[in-house]
Amino acid sequence: MPNLRDIKQRITSVHSTRQITRTMEMVATAKIRKAQERIEAARPYALSMTEVLGNVARFVQGASHPLLEEHAERKRVAVVTITSDRGMCGAFNSNILRLTEDLIARESGDDVDVSVISVGKKALSYLRYRGIEPDAAYRDISDKPTFADARSIAAHIIPAYSTGEIDAAYVIFNRFKNVAEQRAEVYQLLPIESRVMEQAEGDLRITPEYVFEPTPQAVLERLLPTYVETLIYRGLMESAASEQGARRTAMKSATDNASEMITTLTRSYNRARQAAITNEIAEIVGGAAAQEGA
Amino acid sequence: MARTLLCEIVTPERIVYTNEVEMVIAPTLDGEIGILPLHVPLVTVLAAGELRVRYNHSKDVEWFAISGGYLQVHEDKVIVLADNAQVASQIDVERARLAKETLESRMRDLNEAAADAADRDTCEFDLRWCETQLKVAEKRA
Repeated sequence: MPNLRDIKQRITSVHSTRQITRTMEMVATAKIRKAQERIEAARPYALSMTEVLGNVARFVQGASHPLLEEHAERKRVAVVTITSDRGMCGAFNSNILRLTEDLIARESGDDVDVSVISVGKKALSYLRYRGIEPDAAYRDISDKPTFADARSIAAHIIPAYSTGEIDAAYVIFNRFKNVAEQRAEVYQLLPIESRVMEQAEGDLRITPEYVFEPTPQAVLERLLPTYVETLIYRGLMESAASEQGARRTAMKSATDNASEMITTLTRSYNRARQAAITNEIAEIVGGAAAQEGA
Repeated sequence: MARTLLCEIVTPERIVYTNEVEMVIAPTLDGEIGILPLHVPLVTVLAAGELRVRYNHSKDVEWFAISGGYLQVHEDKVIVLADNAQVASQIDVERARLAKETLESRMRDLNEAAADAADRDTCEFDLRWCETQLKVAEKRA
């Protein structure tokens, strides 16, 4: 027979937990909107960027650029792992870290060194725990990523790829599908796949004769690094939006679970109370009967 | 009514400016370029510096500080893709100056420590952006 006071205490405790999870859910909902707006705000730049890239690609047929060329050998690859700084967001970080681990295991199997650039406290603590020291670690940017952050991350991989220090670069992040769905994804940053250029070229509806200043090649040389920066920036932003989405979902089910628990606990509390009262009455009646008999 | 150009200045983070203008003057790597309506389709690399647009029968001019990027002209539409861009009147001089000092001292530290090239590049880029902002603000304030 559970003690009345114990049950009461548990109800109070679950109650306050629910209050916290419900608040977190609401905060996350508000933040998703902001994060989505930020993604929206980046769209015009990304669209124009693709357009310019397509124009240049058409002009510089069979363009050669260090960032487009695949290296013959694969000795070292870089991975940008984007996680969050805070927990309480379900499988958000573990999905990313699992993918990262898979990739490291796969590449190591082929005798390829993997250098990791971590974004978010979660990635850093996980990797350190696993004995992997990231080449660069970023934290406290996952909430409001800026383009400067993306540029700073890109600075670790673009020159390294051009000089042949690394032979490929990937970014692992949660793609924001919609408010309720995020998918952890590996995206190849470098070499820039030729289909990207072809697609950008194919997207063009109008193909006027452009003049390039100073030369198409020079424009391309500037454009490609910026393109990679834009990809990273997008990854950071999608991850920020996904984080809030995942947190909202996780906190919603936590709130629901707490409510359910409170219902069950209240039921057993009432049952226990009822039993206590019944017991008391039985005792009184029993006592009275004994008195009468005397 | 004179023919106009639609000028859009976008950064990865936001649209900084969009308006019907009569002329866009932008800093390219080889000096300034002026874009008038009916310009041929053009794609050019921009240097860090000052970008101006003239509108309202050239009576009004708006100044911008930009940190480099690209400019595309097509059918009377000018798109400026800048890494950073700011309207001259909205440049926070105090903040830029402070940031510049911080970055300069950081730069010295990085040079002494022979640190990562990546960090130095990023620092240098931010420093140049502060300088560009200050220069434009000084001229146009």
